[in-house]
Amino acid sequence: MSNNVVKKWMLQRISAVILLPVLIWFLSIFTGLIQKDYQTVLAFFKNDINFVFSVILLVLVFFHMKIGMGEIFEDYIQNSRYKSVANFIISVFATVLPLVTIVSLVLIKFN
Amino acid sequence: MDDLQKNRPLSPHLQVYKWQLSSLLSITHRLTSIINTAGITLICSWILSLYMGENCYKYFSMFASSFIGKFILIGFTWSFSYHLLNGVRHLFWDMGYGYEIKTANLSGIVVLVSSFLLTIGFWILA
Repeated sequence: MSNNVVKKWMLQRISAVILLPVLIWFLSIFTGLIQKDYQTVLAFFKNDINFVFSVILLVLVFFHMKIGMGEIFEDYIQNSRYKSVANFIISVFATVLPLVTIVSLVLIKFN
Repeated sequence: MDDLQKNRPLSPHLQVYKWQLSSLLSITHRLTSIINTAGITLICSWILSLYMGENCYKYFSMFASSFIGKFILIGFTWSFSYHLLNGVRHLFWDMGYGYEIKTANLSGIVVLVSSFLLTIGFWILA
């Protein structure tokens, strides 16, 4: 039990450290890219490096988010059943959304 | 034991704290984490609209270039910037640095000011 908490604590920090440069890269490009036309954005995500970094970003952001939300639930939800339900909903959300998005990125890249 | 397990103490709810810079920035860290979740969801929908094709992407572009869209996007950029910078502050604390009240207040102000500068930077760069 306590080991699990320590592991989560570590994983939250490790994902944060990796996310630092990846997020700075993404934000500096995103603000310009979102104003560009369809073809330009399509070409951006077809690029190998951009594709890989985008996938890393999606995986880590949702991983980091799931642990963080769990921490908030731990602090503010007393009823353990409600807490489990909240954690379950976040788990589904943090799995399905990045998965669907990454599949789209793969289909964009190899189409 | 069983009762103790069931009724474990919660964190004190926010209303009981006296407002001060340290708590305000800490609450903002959590608040921006929730806003960031909405932000990454928007980014996912942006990629999904790209996959759906040019017609669908047009609607996203219309939203992104509208006044409200710009406002939301700049807001998300600030939220990500703040959470990122304050996260660095947290990492220093985790390593045992910066706990003195003076240092913590100063680093807090640096984070707050930098978050706005970083947001402006990202959008000037764009």
